[in-house]
Amino acid sequence: MLDTVEKEDTVISEEEAAQYDRQIRLWGLDAQKRLRGSHVLLVGLRGLGAEVAKNLILAGVKGLTLLDHEEVTEESCRAQFLIPVGSEGQNRAQASLERAQYLNPMVDVKADTEPVESKPDEFFLQFDAVCLTGCPRDLMIRIDQICSQKNVKVFCGDVFGYHGYMFSNLGPEHHYVEEKLKAVKPSEGTSDGPDTKKPKVDPSETTMVKKTASFCSLKEALEIDWTSEKAKASLKRTPADYFLLQVAPLPSPFAPSVLLKFRTDKGRDPQPSSFADDSTILRQIRDDVLEAQGLASDLIPDEFVSYCFSEMAPVCAVVGGVLGQEIVKALSQRDAPHRNFFFFDGLKGSGVVDYFATK
Amino acid sequence: MLVGSLRKELADSVSSCRVLVVGAGGIGCELLKNLVLTGFKNIEVIDLDTIDVSNLNRQFLFQKKHVGKSKAQVAKESVLQFCPEANITAYHDSIMNPDYNVEFFKNFMLVMNALDNRAARNHVNRMCLAANIPLIESGTAGYLGQVTVIKKGLTECYECQPKPTQKTFPGCTIRNTPSEPIHCIVWAKYLYNQLFGEEDADQEVSPDTADPEASCESIICSVCRWLFYLCSQSMGSNDFDKRLRAILTAARAGASNQDGDIKRVSTKDWARSTGYDPVKIFNKLFKDDIMYLLTMDKLWKKRKAPQPLDWAVVQEMAYIQEEVSGQGLRDQQVLGVKGYAQLFCNSVETLRSQLAEKGEGAQLVWDKDDPPAMDFVTAAANLRMHVFSMNMKSRFDVKSMAGNIIPAIATTNAVIAGLIVLEALKILSGDLEQCRTVFLNKQPNPRKKLLVPCALDPPNTNCYVCASKPEVTVKLNVHKTLVQSLQDKILKEKFGMVAPDVQIEDGKGTILISSEEGETDANNSKCLSEFGIRNGSRLQVDDFLQDYTLLVNLLHCEDLEKDVEFEVVGDAPDKAPPAPNVPEEDKNIANGNQDSALPSTSSKVPIEKDDVLIVDSDEEPSSSTMEAAVEMGGVKRKLEDVETGGAGSKRKRLFELPINDDDIIALD
Repeated sequence: MLDTVEKEDTVISEEEAAQYDRQIRLWGLDAQKRLRGSHVLLVGLRGLGAEVAKNLILAGVKGLTLLDHEEVTEESCRAQFLIPVGSEGQNRAQASLERAQYLNPMVDVKADTEPVESKPDEFFLQFDAVCLTGCPRDLMIRIDQICSQKNVKVFCGDVFGYHGYMFSNLGPEHHYVEEKLKAVKPSEGTSDGPDTKKPKVDPSETTMVKKTASFCSLKEALEIDWTSEKAKASLKRTPADYFLLQVAPLPSPFAPSVLLKFRTDKGRDPQPSSFADDSTILRQIRDDVLEAQGLASDLIPDEFVSYCFSEMAPVCAVVGGVLGQEIVKALSQRDAPHRNFFFFDGLKGSGVVDYFATK
Repeated sequence: MLVGSLRKELADSVSSCRVLVVGAGGIGCELLKNLVLTGFKNIEVIDLDTIDVSNLNRQFLFQKKHVGKSKAQVAKESVLQFCPEANITAYHDSIMNPDYNVEFFKNFMLVMNALDNRAARNHVNRMCLAANIPLIESGTAGYLGQVTVIKKGLTECYECQPKPTQKTFPGCTIRNTPSEPIHCIVWAKYLYNQLFGEEDADQEVSPDTADPEASCESIICSVCRWLFYLCSQSMGSNDFDKRLRAILTAARAGASNQDGDIKRVSTKDWARSTGYDPVKIFNKLFKDDIMYLLTMDKLWKKRKAPQPLDWAVVQEMAYIQEEVSGQGLRDQQVLGVKGYAQLFCNSVETLRSQLAEKGEGAQLVWDKDDPPAMDFVTAAANLRMHVFSMNMKSRFDVKSMAGNIIPAIATTNAVIAGLIVLEALKILSGDLEQCRTVFLNKQPNPRKKLLVPCALDPPNTNCYVCASKPEVTVKLNVHKTLVQSLQDKILKEKFGMVAPDVQIEDGKGTILISSEEGETDANNSKCLSEFGIRNGSRLQVDDFLQDYTLLVNLLHCEDLEKDVEFEVVGDAPDKAPPAPNVPEEDKNIANGNQDSALPSTSSKVPIEKDDVLIVDSDEEPSSSTMEAAVEMGGVKRKLEDVETGGAGSKRKRLFELPINDDDIIALD
């Protein structure tokens, strides 16, 4: 949608300029204008969803739709600062709406309480970007396919305890600009004598360079055959989080997916209240998926079960910050996007960007 | 068992410990949210600032209706809305207030800085060292950020590594030969103070006749040359007469200037005598002073000479308004010369009446958010840029530079505040050895890392703050340096003390400076040599609030560079002498750190305002040095990852946290 809809006529008011001053100084007025003309769908209003919502509303998108059909529970709002205390039993998106709107009255924030599975294809196409959190893998693959055909930017993300990831698909051709320093020519001013009329070159002057990046679909990103020689060779450099999280093809018998498989098998995420049982199941799933790949189970050490329960607020902040900024970059068509996964390990403080694609 | 994502024991210490958050701004708001959502219950937060509309794009605990209110107080109230069970104490105050002494700091298990200036960071660093409390430091600038952990005796402290000094400009560049817009902007800010604010001898704006570049030129020679030049131009006699008079006036001013600025009328007195007539001020600054500069013709042999601007001539010009970007914001448009002349005139009139309203002897204080003050600096800087043939800049761009504005976004602060809490959890688990410095990059490094954890470095045994017996050597001229400058410029500004007491180690224990108000005021205007201080003298300097004692060795030096009042030996890392292997005298010094074995004779921490974030290095050992291009506010700087020969450290990271002060310091 970004390329077909003319957004340049969006005018930034003096009021907006005052509020957005510190970020316009970073990404420029043009980027802010594009952002100001963008509509985003955010699915899932748990801890990570709340972080992404906050970041997009503060940045100043035109509209944000919060979609979640589930009810508020103690566990689901452990890392959720938009839901007021005492909202148990209410719809999560609805309960988040008021606080979200307070963050920036200039953004049109809506709540949608219908299940995302029930939405027709066209629903997703009214947005410039769609961000999916807490969704099952096959649903993510479906929405990714619908959106990427129509140039709607797709983002997915999840947080499990100390671990989190994000994925992005900005389509086969994502155009953006980057700021480069203007090349300063070696000074010739002195030879012209002191009376040259030529203005001096400011060493800090910059110029915009147009660039293009290409992305693969989520399905392609997940269909890596880890038994191939080439894949095995790159395995050493692959973050263990790739396997720990849900990043693997659903239909493939080689699917190394622990946490998403848990979500698929159980219809929920691991619960701290059933730590002992869920730990056993997680270890079993870990063994199954790694063995099916011909991979050693020590790729994901046993201790992982202690660190992947619930959504940890600081991990939501980190992943939601990176994810939020990637959405801002994509919508404003400013700066090189991260391709196509970001993995965060909160125990190590390490955040890796890596490109996974079958081709 | 787990409570949320945390082990039960960890969750228990999280909910029972008491923590201090210093700063409730960009990082502070995100941090407070993360802390309560992680289960922290006892939090104290301090910030002396109030909420501004430009905070609202990231400081999400604040809304428009809170503008002008205390950040700490509003942050507390907002957090309680989603976590009413938290026990939060808010202080609308400066952390440098003596009420927050070492005992206060000892109340906490952990201190987290979310600050934007080096003075406060230095101070909290010292307080945490004195109280032996772990400190988590952090900073962000645009897309970049950094978190680190400081623990006395185990890690580097905030002041262990020298910070790159902010770019300063020689006085004569500002006054005589500006070559970049920033020189004109610094000049315009000085001019504001000279006209409306506190006059500062270091912020002179008129031509500097003592410019070494122009020194061999006698004024009389220049005047003769000019007369000759003007005659050859065969101008109308009236015009000639006016110009001649201007030159002679300028020459007279210059002559009196040469004998030490004593007889000269100050810029403010002169402006007042004209009734702050904008046209007269305009012509003095952009015509007469420039014509005077032209008489120093050595300056213009290899430079393009400036072109004087006459108010009357500007009025004849067509009004041209160039727009930077289509229908951009008013602030982003570059007005023409005529537009800026008009803006200059209007802002002088507004400021004149503001000054008059304040009453006799009042002063205005420059503030980038005060529209007439910002208009004045924009106009004056641009007119000077035009005079010196530079491309003019929009008010928006001038504000960035004049206000030293560091761009700031919510997402970077969110990431950094998340990382702070993760480090805090390691400290509470007793896993201090697992703590890391983590850098947030704009783009992944060659190892694909966007967030780069690095092992913490051990303390610098020569650090003038955390070494067991901190010591520095300072070069200065004992016959010229006043006690007042020793206190203000060296001890407070350079060495970050709040209220120093100074005793001369002359066997008699002469008190040179006392922190008790008024006790040693009589000494302030005397120079050091009057107290018997000479080459090799030693001063013992104590700051009781910081529980910090520094031994200062003085070296008398007659040949410091022009405009340099003192020099700290070993200030530049490459000039640092090797650590001397001298046996240590065993004296009891109050800093309390008994771990390190060697005294230090060099100090390395420059105090200035524009920190640069170095974003590189990797946890895995690497022999390669890498370079990172760091972008801040559209300015890219290439920074090198310097190798150190230091004890076992393969790389050197300048621990740099961006700050956001208003001042640009220029050397004069």
